[in-house]
Amino acid sequence: MIKLINVSKIYDKNVIALNNINLKFKEGETIILKGVSGSGKSTILSLIAGLVKPTTGSVLIDKKKISKIPDHFASSFRQEHIGFIFQKYNLINNLSVEENILLPLLPLNLKKIEHQKRVQEVLELFNIEEKRFALVKNLSGGQQQRCAIARANINNPKIILADEPTANLDEKLSLEFIEILKNLKSQQKTIIIATHDPLFFELDFVDRIIQVKNGEIIYDIES
Amino acid sequence: MILSPEILTIYILDGLFIVFATVAFFLSISIIKSWDYNATTQLQYSLEKRSYLASTIIKYMFFIKLPFFLFFIFTLEKISLILPGAMCGAGVVNANEYATILLFLKLINLYLFAYWIVLDTEDMKYEEQPYLKQKFIIFTVMFLFLIVEISLEYKTFYSIDINNVVDCCGTIFSLTDNTYLSKILSLPPWILLSLFYFNFLLLVISALYRYSYSFATLNLLFILISLLSLISYFGTYIYELPTHHCPFCLLQYEYNYMGYFLYTILFIGTFNGLVIGFIKFDKQEVILKYKVSLLLNFIYLVVVTLYPLLYYFKNGVLL
Repeated sequence: MIKLINVSKIYDKNVIALNNINLKFKEGETIILKGVSGSGKSTILSLIAGLVKPTTGSVLIDKKKISKIPDHFASSFRQEHIGFIFQKYNLINNLSVEENILLPLLPLNLKKIEHQKRVQEVLELFNIEEKRFALVKNLSGGQQQRCAIARANINNPKIILADEPTANLDEKLSLEFIEILKNLKSQQKTIIIATHDPLFFELDFVDRIIQVKNGEIIYDIES
Repeated sequence: MILSPEILTIYILDGLFIVFATVAFFLSISIIKSWDYNATTQLQYSLEKRSYLASTIIKYMFFIKLPFFLFFIFTLEKISLILPGAMCGAGVVNANEYATILLFLKLINLYLFAYWIVLDTEDMKYEEQPYLKQKFIIFTVMFLFLIVEISLEYKTFYSIDINNVVDCCGTIFSLTDNTYLSKILSLPPWILLSLFYFNFLLLVISALYRYSYSFATLNLLFILISLLSLISYFGTYIYELPTHHCPFCLLQYEYNYMGYFLYTILFIGTFNGLVIGFIKFDKQEVILKYKVSLLLNFIYLVVVTLYPLLYYFKNGVLL
């Protein structure tokens, strides 16, 4: 269960990104945050991930006040529970697919054999096994996207956050991505997607669509 | 007034310390006044950020202060070369009424800063940061001490007159003077030595039974007794001269800079023992602190004991 209670976020003292919003997401739900650029969607995702702290209010994940805990605790929490898919993938171009996927595992000090096992699993799951040793900079947009999803899932998180995940993809690749999401949904993961791509608004597995505008919730409907 | 490159460096660093410590001080005051962990207000979130900033400043200050203290000692030694009468840092320390207090204050501040770092590390282990207010209250006191230290440092170097002849360490640490120190140092060696070894024995017993408060108190005593016995007895074997009781000459090349080694292990050993009495560590951490403290104090004990023993084996007599 994710809760945002009376949350406001103001950047640089006068840029109001979110204005006293209240939201509640149940476990296993798939939610679309809809809105134009600058409406506050990405800020909601960053708050849930503990990447930024609110100006006022609190963010809770399973009763843990993610907005109140010190940064190093937020990092560990994120590492265990949250997978983040970024609009520009945020991959390291000069590393291979495998090395990029392995990055979230490095602080865990696992054995090499465990690393290999987990990497193999996500490579197969997201159909990118044949590019395992290829440098990221040599991949197509869709392959980079799959690599980013694999990295977000390497720790098997129960919450997946995706920020404009199809902004750089054509329709075919976007549909491929949606299939991957459907698969993740079937694993009972909570998925929150910030997007203004109309492809997402008619999907049968989406539970709720929330419209965000000027930092406020305009509507929150079940689909 | 002396203005050597070393003293200029000290002044510049002191200036930087004042600026950063003042920032940390005002941040600490605002945190002490309004901190409420459960609040989700704008002020509380801003205080959380300020606490990171203040902690970072204080940590950096400590990590500069640590080598800076050694640099200060090195500077005293260097000044002693141009100060008429001085044979080592002791002559400089005795050149005016401020330096001795300064030296003690520097040591106290070093222990306080080290304590703060341990408290901060402990605080950051818990999400609720249980020691947060406490550590910033302590810093406000440390800030006042630091300002006094810096003022004294300025006064010390400002009031040294290189035309005045100062006493050498042989006179300062003479056992025939009428000072309290001379009276303590002129006690028969067996008294201080018994206290020294008995103190260590009590340390071992306290550690075995995990008596944290007595272990901390005994460590405090161990610092004093170790220094007194070093000046009064063990030092004479390092110098191989029965009348030489200076704690500063140990820091010179002629004695293999042994003082830096002895003082450093004594500081780390006793510090690890002292903090056990002030902070509630988890079981593993507290055992580690007992071990580190005992081990380093033991190394200190062995090293100083070896000097008279080796002297005896070499010459067949004691001094």
